[in-house]
Amino acid sequence: MKTYVQHGKTMVDSPYKVEGKEKWTLKEKLLLGLTPRQYLAQAVRNPFNWILALIFAVGLPLIAGRFIFGLSFVTHSSNDYPWGLFLAFGLFAMVPLSASGFMLGTTVEIFGRHDFAPIERLALLNGLLGYFFAVIYLMVDLGQPWRLPYPMVVSFGTAAVLFLVAWHVATYLTVQIAEVSTSFWEWIGWPLGKQFIKKIAVGLTVSGIILSTLHQGALGALFTYAPGKVHPLWYSASFQWIHFFCSAIPAGLCMVIAVSTIVKKTMAWRCDDEFLDRLDSLTLGLAKGASLGLITYLAIKLIGIAHENEWAYLATGWGQWFMLEIFIGVVVPIALFAYGIRNNRPGLVRFTAFLTIFGIVLNRINTALIAFNWKLYQEIPHWKEVVICLTIFAIYVVTYRFILYRLPILYSWKEAPALAEEPVTEELRCPRSEPVPVEMYRSVD
Amino acid sequence: MYTTWKKYLGGIMLVAFCLVPAAQGWTQDPPRTIELDSLSHLYEGVTFDHVLHVDLGESCAVCHHHGTGAPVQDENCARCHSNAEKTKVVTCKECHPVDPFSAEYLRERELDAKLYHRDKPGLKAAYHQNCMGCHEEMGGPTGCQDCHGRTEAGDAMFRAGAYAPQGGAAPSQH
Amino acid sequence: MKISRRRFLAASLACGAATSLTVTKNALGAGTFEGYPEGMGVLVDLTRCVGCRSCEAACNKEQNLPEPAQPFDDTSVFDQTFHGGQKRRPDENAYTVVNRYDQPDGKSPVFRKIQCNHCNEPACLTSCFVNAYTKTKEGAVVYNPKVCVGCRNCMIACPFQIPAYSYSSAFDPVVKKCIFCYDTRLKYGKPPACVESCPQGVMTFGNRKELIKIGNDRIKARPDRYVDHIYGENELGGTGWMYLAGVDFEQVGFDTTVGKEPIISNVKEFLGTVPMVLAIWPALFTGFHLLAKKKEHHSHAEQEDADQ
Repeated sequence: MKTYVQHGKTMVDSPYKVEGKEKWTLKEKLLLGLTPRQYLAQAVRNPFNWILALIFAVGLPLIAGRFIFGLSFVTHSSNDYPWGLFLAFGLFAMVPLSASGFMLGTTVEIFGRHDFAPIERLALLNGLLGYFFAVIYLMVDLGQPWRLPYPMVVSFGTAAVLFLVAWHVATYLTVQIAEVSTSFWEWIGWPLGKQFIKKIAVGLTVSGIILSTLHQGALGALFTYAPGKVHPLWYSASFQWIHFFCSAIPAGLCMVIAVSTIVKKTMAWRCDDEFLDRLDSLTLGLAKGASLGLITYLAIKLIGIAHENEWAYLATGWGQWFMLEIFIGVVVPIALFAYGIRNNRPGLVRFTAFLTIFGIVLNRINTALIAFNWKLYQEIPHWKEVVICLTIFAIYVVTYRFILYRLPILYSWKEAPALAEEPVTEELRCPRSEPVPVEMYRSVD
Repeated sequence: MYTTWKKYLGGIMLVAFCLVPAAQGWTQDPPRTIELDSLSHLYEGVTFDHVLHVDLGESCAVCHHHGTGAPVQDENCARCHSNAEKTKVVTCKECHPVDPFSAEYLRERELDAKLYHRDKPGLKAAYHQNCMGCHEEMGGPTGCQDCHGRTEAGDAMFRAGAYAPQGGAAPSQH
Repeated sequence: MKISRRRFLAASLACGAATSLTVTKNALGAGTFEGYPEGMGVLVDLTRCVGCRSCEAACNKEQNLPEPAQPFDDTSVFDQTFHGGQKRRPDENAYTVVNRYDQPDGKSPVFRKIQCNHCNEPACLTSCFVNAYTKTKEGAVVYNPKVCVGCRNCMIACPFQIPAYSYSSAFDPVVKKCIFCYDTRLKYGKPPACVESCPQGVMTFGNRKELIKIGNDRIKARPDRYVDHIYGENELGGTGWMYLAGVDFEQVGFDTTVGKEPIISNVKEFLGTVPMVLAIWPALFTGFHLLAKKKEHHSHAEQEDADQ
């Protein structure tokens, strides 16, 4: 795609092909302003698509097989380990990584830090897609996925933590769809939709924070149903939900850094100048938040161990594994973030963000799978489970890319003057110290 | 001279001798074999060699733990039952119910506040508990089919013999 | 019609409060449940079990389970191990299994029957988000396959690792476990099939409270024969199926670290936090927002006036 742009192809970043005259059709918008032949050519040229094709060739039949032949076709059918990689990775790991939505929403809408606005939409999209695909992973894992609406409408087990998770994730997905929809309304050319969402943005964001706090915590609380089964170093009777909620904060922020890094490297043509220019300082800003979250997480993890007097476990094999996870996922990132922020090294900060993500994913997989049933035997997931996880992740990446290529997430939609009810709001300024004249300063709401 | 009463002494003694066991309540000798078949369904009835066990056991109370007049063997029981009285019937099934868990039996037990022995095994359990302990010690038969062969219905339930699985699927287990 | 921001915030707070009342209707604060007064139970006396597996056969027949891999009188199954040393466990085809535990010093092995323990406050029930489990007044913990979504949280929660899942079914996989023969027997006051089949009287069926007395009486009558503990009397809030043994319970595969509290006690702390967050967060973050936007508030109000 960048080849086309280099050769002067006009990108779709406004309603009009030619200024003020011909409008892009939906088909053209979908095909990024290319002819179908050009679109296909650029798709085939891209080596990443070949890897994706290979993954889909193996993975999609396996997914079909799971639904045709049952879970026994793709898992070890373990009664001792009912939750496998689909949930350990697809749900427990993906959900904290998708905490970016409420983090950036709160930063911009509640705390008024509009300097983070250029990356806000990316964070919201990250949150939405992450949760959406967590539900996809869940659908693959559930024994009877067509009954997913049952806890909503058929039979209520209100004392169950999972009941809360189900309701909150469903509600939160709605909130996130609403929040991301502003870019969709812009792109599709229906300004009323955008106006409506803008009005309720604060309410949506507050709902988002409430829902996120509770269900990020609830995913941790799920393990309080199995107190003897999770190794004590990963389990806290009183604080499990706080550990999960607190670690979701750096997870979400680092995921935004990570995705923006990938975006900058692979689809810079789609980003507008403001995004690219501001990205380094935004990255450092996000890293500050992430490192605060990590320091807090380390503290509450140590408090958790002290609370139950579990220090002796650190001397065991499991203890070494635990310390490795904390070292790679928390301690080293704290140090690297500190150095990177202080010395203005966005590259280092980006690397550290990937390291943190690895640490968070490792923590969730440890809690749900590796350190689970620690008194029994170790369960290695079926290779088909691994392939399906990878395939669904590939679908997630493809969907992500599809949306980023089209919707005004990484760039600002240049509204025609006649259509805009207010000037482009995403080109936001850093907050000024002195009051500014009203006409020049519009708030994002 | 041979007096009249001496002539009849043998007869009188014979009659007296026969009356002694009658005075003790037994009207006949202990049976040689007993058919234990009140529970036969999955297994055939047991042809119990009673006379063998009479010879092997030190006292009737070893098996008929109470009711035969012999002193109680179990020290736990002897705490209360030091004077073992003879009962008219000494078969196991007289006291041990065939169905110890029926709603009626449980209800009766619940209502009888004065009942001490609330833990009486049913007939099947009584047979096995009584027999098996000794058999294990003395080297008697301990396998199920050593004492009673399985019936057709038993084979069906145990999926054995003619009903054995034909290379069935391995258990899904863990 | 223009909705003012203030009006909308007020409305969303009200909605949030209303939601907190409906969505989080938790069963909190109840004291420990000691079982229904007429709840039945089973006392399993492991000093009597000889490993004949009649109970397994009876259960298979009563619950119409599939044909087993080996006949039920085959005792070689006691030597089977899985995953490097695990003994047999209940699965989708066998709601109960008996395992053999060899004892040191030439003592005769102890056999243990494993099945759902029908807890007073079952972890499976409390973890189910579609209320698929019910503790009946007769004491059975039964399962409704018609609402089960297959999340398998119950399998995670059960501290005894009992519920199994019929993974082999593509279109109707459900949880499989002992249901105390509720549908066919317990409902009518009859003992379950395994209890009836046992030749050694290992299992005694009766009112749970009564069984505890019987168990204690047995221990008192033969203190040399029994370990002075009824497993399940208090464990995890009390279970319907309880055990007596002649050796330490850990030696025959019991988890003696489970504690006396039902599993729900672990979760209550979080469940109590939920309505707190629902109540506090809206005001907290709206407050942050109002504080953060203080300066703009002035200019925004001027802007609104200017527009009108």
